Amino acid sequence: MSAAAPRFGTAQVLFGLAVGILVIFVAVPVLLIFFNAFWVNGAFNVADVLKVLRQKDTYEALLNSLVLASGVTVTGTIVGTFFAWLVTRTDLPFKGAMKVLFLVPFMLPSFIGALAWKMLLSPRSGYINRFFQEVLGFDGPVFDIYTYGGIIGVETMYLFPFVFIQVCGALERMDPTLEESARISGADLFTITRRITIPLVLPSILSGALLIMLYSMAHFGTVAVLGIEAGIYNIPTLIYEKIHQSAGSFDSIRTGTVLATVLVVTAAFILWLQNRVLSRGRYQIIAGKSFRPTELKLRGLRYPLLAFCLAYIAFTIVLPTVTIFLVGGLKTYGLPLAAENFTWGNYRHILFEWQLTRDAIWNSITLGLAAALITMFAGVIISYVIVKMKVRGKGILEFLGMLPFSVPGSVIALGVILAWSGKFGVNLYNTVWIILVAYIARYMAFSLKANSAALEQVHDSLVEAARASGATMWQALRDVVVPLVRPGMLAAFFLIFLPALRELTVSVLLYGPTSRTIGVAIYTLNEDGETVYSAALAGIALVIIVTGEVVIKRFFKTASGS
Amino acid sequence: MKRTLLALAAGLALALAAGPAAAQQKLYVYTSMKESLIGELRSAFAKKHPEVKMDYQSAGAGKLMAKIAAERESGKILADVLWTSEVPDFYQLKAQGMLLPYTPREIKSLVNPLPEYDGSFTAVRLGTLGIAYNTRLVKSPPASWQDLQKPAFKGAFGVANPALSGTAYMSVSLLTKAFGWEFFEKLRANGAKMGKGSGQVVDDTASGDLVASLAVDYITLDKIGKGATLALAYPPEMLVIPSPVAIFKATPNAEAAKKFVDFVLSKEGQTIIAHEGTLPVRSDVTVPAQYKLPAVDDAMKRAIKIDYVKLMAEKEASVKKFTEIMQKK
Repeated sequence: MSAAAPRFGTAQVLFGLAVGILVIFVAVPVLLIFFNAFWVNGAFNVADVLKVLRQKDTYEALLNSLVLASGVTVTGTIVGTFFAWLVTRTDLPFKGAMKVLFLVPFMLPSFIGALAWKMLLSPRSGYINRFFQEVLGFDGPVFDIYTYGGIIGVETMYLFPFVFIQVCGALERMDPTLEESARISGADLFTITRRITIPLVLPSILSGALLIMLYSMAHFGTVAVLGIEAGIYNIPTLIYEKIHQSAGSFDSIRTGTVLATVLVVTAAFILWLQNRVLSRGRYQIIAGKSFRPTELKLRGLRYPLLAFCLAYIAFTIVLPTVTIFLVGGLKTYGLPLAAENFTWGNYRHILFEWQLTRDAIWNSITLGLAAALITMFAGVIISYVIVKMKVRGKGILEFLGMLPFSVPGSVIALGVILAWSGKFGVNLYNTVWIILVAYIARYMAFSLKANSAALEQVHDSLVEAARASGATMWQALRDVVVPLVRPGMLAAFFLIFLPALRELTVSVLLYGPTSRTIGVAIYTLNEDGETVYSAALAGIALVIIVTGEVVIKRFFKTASGS
Repeated sequence: MKRTLLALAAGLALALAAGPAAAQQKLYVYTSMKESLIGELRSAFAKKHPEVKMDYQSAGAGKLMAKIAAERESGKILADVLWTSEVPDFYQLKAQGMLLPYTPREIKSLVNPLPEYDGSFTAVRLGTLGIAYNTRLVKSPPASWQDLQKPAFKGAFGVANPALSGTAYMSVSLLTKAFGWEFFEKLRANGAKMGKGSGQVVDDTASGDLVASLAVDYITLDKIGKGATLALAYPPEMLVIPSPVAIFKATPNAEAAKKFVDFVLSKEGQTIIAHEGTLPVRSDVTVPAQYKLPAVDDAMKRAIKIDYVKLMAEKEASVKKFTEIMQKK
């Protein structure tokens, strides 16, 4: 490639843009974390890092992160696999509907779930515990939600769909002839399950399990709501504590960067493991659907199991949601749930009177829209360069493109603080812009995934044909590629917009006085003892999120139908 | 379709954002006062001074100071005015030359509880802390601080985290001055817990998660007003904590800041404060009788005295000591 002016065309501009975006938004913040962790007073320093890791609160947080994430992974995998098997391989009644219902937990932000469970199961005042004591005559509280078990239980309820989706997919795609031939050869169901089904589905189970682990490891909300008072910190909550309560001194930021480094390394390890599992497990299991897989006859258990599934949904989704709305309508927290104690005042105050909550709703919606739009376009450009272009240095780009996948939210937030609070000439601290920058970095991975999947389906010959017919690179992109990848771009938009609406882990480290997001407002109101307002805002957030999901499902249906 | 969706979202967002029209002067207040108090003051201030667009950040004093420290690092303090209950912070900021001295117009009508007064900061209210207890769970109100060591409060007395809350920090300092650290050691032996913010321990008491807590007057009274089954008891040795207001020297909005300081100290502002259930600093304003708060003179007489300047140096050590005691297994 010569450097002559006429050759400096669209391709180079795209490449430059792609590298620029990834470096500025993703690489710099992450590098600054490593730099601050290992570089003290102008010298490389590992001893200090070890010193931080040896402090009691640090290694306890590391240990807690591991214990909690492992616990959630085990329980979530069991729950997810069981339900997936139930809705795909048995004759459970209303399987289709149940399958949709089991995806609903994904919509409920887990920190809102945690708030609800706190109201239901806190030892002395939780409604369920009080019911046991006051109505059933138990001596003391029956459940205590402020424990490892409580946190693991709550996270499991909202994270098991990671495994559920993966396993459902694998079981549905699996070639039933494999099982059939085993059966014809005389194997019994137990042997078939053990020798054929499980080995075939195992990669999906493991990859779902690792997704749960990755998520739980870096998860802030549930542990913050349920753990802090009992002295249970994980890495993200300890980073939050260090940044918010120890006066932003350099020492606390450094501890934060060391913790963040550990988090990145762990996340990278989990992803590496996942890649290995997936690449080893690429059996040819999709081989045309000759038969429907045999369904296990549940016989007498059909209706009891259906009742169990419905009870599970009622218990994990309906009960917490109803609790949130009811508590949000109470005049003050602690009153019995009786008609005379309810008011619309909290909801009205939040929507129409209170600057703080109105700011929060406005911020979350605009931040979500802006992050989704910017990341969608940036994602197309970067994916295009990675998937389609033959440029030197693409390897670096591929590596940079992988980075956002393995960088947890609290790490991005910390990196963004280091990069954008004035040390390099731009000071976004305390503004919504710093949250936007962090969202772009955080959600780039989603956009890259959706867009590169779409781009891989666009054959190179289309662009070549356009170029051969005399179109410029730019025209070929505009008239051929972009229209073809539009579904991928749209998918990216919504994959980013909806999670951004309820984001907490990143924004809780970055918010300023006027830049609270919905998640931050719910969390801080709860922390400040405004429980009823916190619940009311959570209720409003649920309405916004569910409306968003439904509108989008509709929209995708019509879009794919036409 | 995408466009309609975007338009929809934008429309919704605009509807939500349609606030008051832009004003010329801006003012940003960092305060540890809760919504019930600062929200009322903000509305009244906006009515009186429509030319000033006042906004506030309400959070615990510890969090606000952390925020300010981080903002100083990054070169620009967003706050124009600071109003918390962590008195030593103000002496510290003054010593660092961060505050703009301003003597309020109506200084003559004010009670001043702060030594070495030079206008750098002025007390706006006298916060009191008592024992908030849940009347469903506690039948005989505690009469002394030592009553908290009785079985009635076993495992369920809460104190806010002094690292987060200024009132909690001041209370811990005052109580250890009066009764020594062993007071908290005995409380811990009776199962006392450290909570999060000063509002949260009161809410947890209202719900019954705690049977009682060390509680700020107006936060408790606000919840009682809304129907919570709470009551507030004051032992003979009182915790009276002035909440000073100060203007940052670096503020570009000094005029608006002065208007705010004068407003909260005016008869009108002080009446709002008194009606929320906390002691005013003006003798011509009285707290509504239904709150059953002690009179200002009485409270000052019963108050545990402490040297604020000395406290400045002790904060880190005493927060650490307190945390250690409260987390002892």
